[in-house]
Amino acid sequence: MTIRRRPRRRPPRRVGREWLTGYLFILPAVVVIAIFGLFPIAYAVYMSLYSWRVRQGAYLGLENYARTLGHAGGAIAFFGGLLLVLVAHWVWTDAFAAGRSEGRRYVQAAGATLLLASGVSVALGWQLMARSGDRAFLQGLVRTVYYGFGSVPIQIALALVLASLLFQRIRGREVFRMLYFLPYVAPAVAGAAVFRAIFSPRPEFLANTVLSWFHIAPQRWLFETRPITEVLFGGLLQHLGVAHVTGFWAGPSLALVTIILFGIWTFTGYNAVIFLAGLGNIPQDLYEAAAIDGANRVQSFRHITVPLLSPVTFYLTVLGFIGTFQAFTHIYVMRQPAVRDAVDTASIVIFDTFYKRNNWSLAAAQSVVLFAIILILTLYQSRFFGRSVFRG
Amino acid sequence: MASLPTDGARAARVRSGAAARVERAGREPFEFRLSQLPIYFLLLVGALISFTPFFYMASTSLMTLGETINRRLLPAHPQWINYQRAWTEADFALYFRNSVVISAVVILGVLVTCTLAGYAFAKIRFPGREIIFMVLLATLMIPSTVTFIPNFLLIRGDVIPWGSWINKLPALTVPFLSTAFIIFLFRQFFQGIPDELWDAARIDGAGHLRFLTAVVVPMSRPVMMTAALLTFVRTWNEFLWPLLVTTTPTWRPLGVGLYTFITEAGPQTHYLMAGAVITILPVMVVYFFTQRQFTEGIATSGLKG
Repeated sequence: MTIRRRPRRRPPRRVGREWLTGYLFILPAVVVIAIFGLFPIAYAVYMSLYSWRVRQGAYLGLENYARTLGHAGGAIAFFGGLLLVLVAHWVWTDAFAAGRSEGRRYVQAAGATLLLASGVSVALGWQLMARSGDRAFLQGLVRTVYYGFGSVPIQIALALVLASLLFQRIRGREVFRMLYFLPYVAPAVAGAAVFRAIFSPRPEFLANTVLSWFHIAPQRWLFETRPITEVLFGGLLQHLGVAHVTGFWAGPSLALVTIILFGIWTFTGYNAVIFLAGLGNIPQDLYEAAAIDGANRVQSFRHITVPLLSPVTFYLTVLGFIGTFQAFTHIYVMRQPAVRDAVDTASIVIFDTFYKRNNWSLAAAQSVVLFAIILILTLYQSRFFGRSVFRG
Repeated sequence: MASLPTDGARAARVRSGAAARVERAGREPFEFRLSQLPIYFLLLVGALISFTPFFYMASTSLMTLGETINRRLLPAHPQWINYQRAWTEADFALYFRNSVVISAVVILGVLVTCTLAGYAFAKIRFPGREIIFMVLLATLMIPSTVTFIPNFLLIRGDVIPWGSWINKLPALTVPFLSTAFIIFLFRQFFQGIPDELWDAARIDGAGHLRFLTAVVVPMSRPVMMTAALLTFVRTWNEFLWPLLVTTTPTWRPLGVGLYTFITEAGPQTHYLMAGAVITILPVMVVYFFTQRQFTEGIATSGLKG
């Protein structure tokens, strides 16, 4: 009895010591993370309000943001539209949760309208911004979007196929999994160095050798600034009387496409491992039931695997896009001076503004804008992913 | 990457289920069926694409300059001298040493700071515990693109007058001495340790530090190993930051060394590939020997952006 009671009757002095021990234990970690992880956000915002070229200069207020985004109304419409997507989603799901059948349709219609409005707002806001904003940075954002849409869906589709193949009863599963994961573990600098050599414009290097097997003329890959549509369909377009394709729908340059290939090569294996985990969570009896009902393998893949994995797919998609906005190393290593800005995504532009143009405050403002976008993507993730994943 | 660890934890739970299933499937007697041939074919194509760049790198690193230009698949006689050249003449020996020292310091620091913090967040009660932990976790969402500019000023001694760390070891190690993800990892593990053990230790007169070093740490070998591995890969593969803070070779790590070599080497692909092999090899060796822990640890953390 006495032994049991003793720890409960702790004198206050002891509690104080317990607190002190706790604070002392977390102190080293908190100091490091506070200085190098938290403080920089506040300081980046502070820097962005000044003129700051290597040394701190005059106070500028929001001028760096005005220079980056161009049009205040446009910026508000753009970011407001991105946030409106969240509201639209909330209205939509709330309508489902309500369960009242008459009201539900109206609320859903409201959600759909909101979604449409957010799309229009983003598009119009972008047009206003593009007219007078910082061209290098905004173009960098466009290239980042190309990079994301070019690499993430393909990565995910390939990963899903590989994961479901690996999930079969096959020999050497561990070896395959290891090989697929290898590109993800390798240092990006070294991987990018190898890709630079493989995708050399000279005809005797690997990528062009492979093309020559199919009687395709050698390409200039990382040195090619022409947009992908022109490289692929150039002859056809010239036939139709179109000499050059320009604008957003011309697509990324072949140089950027080559970098996209690197992204796919790196991240497919990672996505496959996550998918493999999701596959393990699908109850096996579903497949057995489907087999009894006479479903073949493709049918059960289409009607069981794909829908039950959709939360994981969504998670990987958002994570992939966030990664896209942060991607730096391999793009920096693979870009050739000859293509000028053809492959410069947003994070590369920020780095150049800082490192080459020495405009530190403008770079800080750009990085804060990029952070805002990443934050909104993270909100999407927690909003959509947080509630719906692993339901099955 | 900007994944909240809560997602990581979910992924971990999912994955342990998958691992169990895979093992169960593995124990069933294996039989080869002809209908599986297409599966093997597709898997092999995937493996080929994954592996070709590595093969290309290793093969080219052993060629003569002539062979790299005449597009041979394999060198006639392996030119080991390429490695010797890269190692001595292109300073890769120095870069390698730097990377090893930097990684060792960071791993040691992370293990110490994060073990202490993870233990406090799991087992010691003090006011503000949950809030501080959440704030630390939030730092995982912040991309390095945002932090690198202010951190560069910090390292130059502009903000806190501790002098410039540029080209010195602290610049490459101090900012990485603690990370919220590893704290999270440790906290999860330590929470699983029964409180009865601590009660017993306290009755024996031990304080938290004694209990941590004598009981908890020896019990936690696997999670410490995972933490060390993840930290190693992250530090070894770091690029943007070392590029900024090393203007001379003194403390330049392998990644940046390889990059400077790329910009200087020109068409000498064989030396370049030897350098790439030197950069990749340590990570590969560690990966081969600790494959399972590694894959699962990385998949949980969403390491690398």
